[in-house]
Amino acid sequence: MLRDIAHRTGALDSAYRVAAVARHNTIIRRRDPGQLISYIVMPMVLMLVLKPLYVKAVDGGATQVATGLLVMFSVFAIAIAGNSILVERHWRTWDRLRATRASATELLLGKTIPIFVALIVQQTILLGYGILVIGLPVPRSLGFVVLAIMVWGFTLLAVGAALATIVRSQGELSVVSDVGALTLSSLGGALVPLSIMPGWAQAAAHVSPGYWALSMMQAAIRGEAAGTLLPVGILLAMGLVAGTFAVRRLTRGWGRSRLL
Amino acid sequence: MLEAIDLVKRYGPVQALDGFSLHVEAGEIVGLVGHNGAGKTTFVEIVANLIRPDSGHVTIDGKDPAAARGRIGVAPQHLGLYPSISPREHLELFGRLAGLRRAALRTAIDDLAAALRLTGFMDRHSGGLSGGQQRRIQAATALIHRPGLLLLDEPTAGADLETRQAMLDVVKQRAGEGAAIVYITHYLPELTDLQATIAVARSGGIIARGTHAELVDGLPGEVRLTLGEDEEIRVSTTAPTATLIDLLSRTDRPVSAVDVRNPSLDDLYRSLAGNDAS
Repeated sequence: MLRDIAHRTGALDSAYRVAAVARHNTIIRRRDPGQLISYIVMPMVLMLVLKPLYVKAVDGGATQVATGLLVMFSVFAIAIAGNSILVERHWRTWDRLRATRASATELLLGKTIPIFVALIVQQTILLGYGILVIGLPVPRSLGFVVLAIMVWGFTLLAVGAALATIVRSQGELSVVSDVGALTLSSLGGALVPLSIMPGWAQAAAHVSPGYWALSMMQAAIRGEAAGTLLPVGILLAMGLVAGTFAVRRLTRGWGRSRLL
Repeated sequence: MLEAIDLVKRYGPVQALDGFSLHVEAGEIVGLVGHNGAGKTTFVEIVANLIRPDSGHVTIDGKDPAAARGRIGVAPQHLGLYPSISPREHLELFGRLAGLRRAALRTAIDDLAAALRLTGFMDRHSGGLSGGQQRRIQAATALIHRPGLLLLDEPTAGADLETRQAMLDVVKQRAGEGAAIVYITHYLPELTDLQATIAVARSGGIIARGTHAELVDGLPGEVRLTLGEDEEIRVSTTAPTATLIDLLSRTDRPVSAVDVRNPSLDDLYRSLAGNDAS
């Protein structure tokens, strides 16, 4: 008997499809965890090695080295988001998903949830490591820290998705995400404390998402509402712009020889 | 079930579809044939709601393709599989996206795996399977939810004889259950096996449509006579038997071999679409 299951609608069915895509992408991520592992282990090693330098160079050196490298390597993790979307084009699977009952929104949610979780896990592990090993102060407000991690994860995900819809290959994505990550996070004070950077760099830092992410993380750890919420707003706005761009590209025939 | 009327699609200077119309009833298999570039794949992509036509329209059970996606199963020409995911996991994904759950999903997967001979490699990574095996998995993902409209673009490419027959049996079974099927292939004998209505695409439109018998009626077959050891006479004719008798009555040399070939779909294909190769 042919099944007519096309008329199922409603939030539960939609959630079921989102869960199906998310589960599928979780399996893919789990079977290829190399990128995530390297972006967790590398900053751990660097935090340990660089901590003495930072502690001697600036006040709050432990906070600077832990949050700075967290931000820098979470920016590198944009490549995880970008790659996971770009491979759908390489594998020619995106059209196969688009031809199913699932809407574009459901597909995108299912696709991005596991990446978002991966980004949150990365930041959480690095923060925990910073507290337990590097000497990062225990956050005064867990709520602000959770908010900061979630917002930064969203921004990274949106920027990574937008990048994936622009570049033509994984090589291009690597170049853009690696060079961009290094530039933006360095300019934002993630590698070298802003206070010892030249004046022009301190002025230019404000255009870098890395600057706002670092400010947000450090303010969240200190438990400062104002210092946390302003960067939250700015990063959310950046994420929304990038996310809207990515959604438009992904739902309008991205990956085909001709866009709709 | 499927009604496509006067579809036009242009990619820059390339006119992919130019007044392409096709009607497929429930339970009917339409074999869509034509050279590369004839517009077959573009047609499938429009019906599957992956691209929009410049003009013309498609309805599936009276609905726009976007509203009818749950009723369509598509196995495109190009393989689109996840290399690190097993066939079972592919079928779980596409089954769930179509709304199948728990026991119904498991049953559908087991049935399809048996019917398409997938059981021996259901839990291996798809990236390590042969091209023919991957193509069967792709077809299975289109079939898993028993859609009312099936679009199968060369589903048996690279398959051996046994698995090709298994695929054809499943397609016939689905048509018997009432599915409308568009079956694209370059293996024309498959369409005879499927008892499909044949539509010939050329230059972005359908130039002929009918049953095998209707389409080959009036086409020339061939009579081949070998005289002695090395002389061969070939005659293209619409009346092979009469021509053979005539040839035999007029020769006084010993005949070492006779071959009579009735007109086939290959002849039709060549005669209708022969000038459109790309």
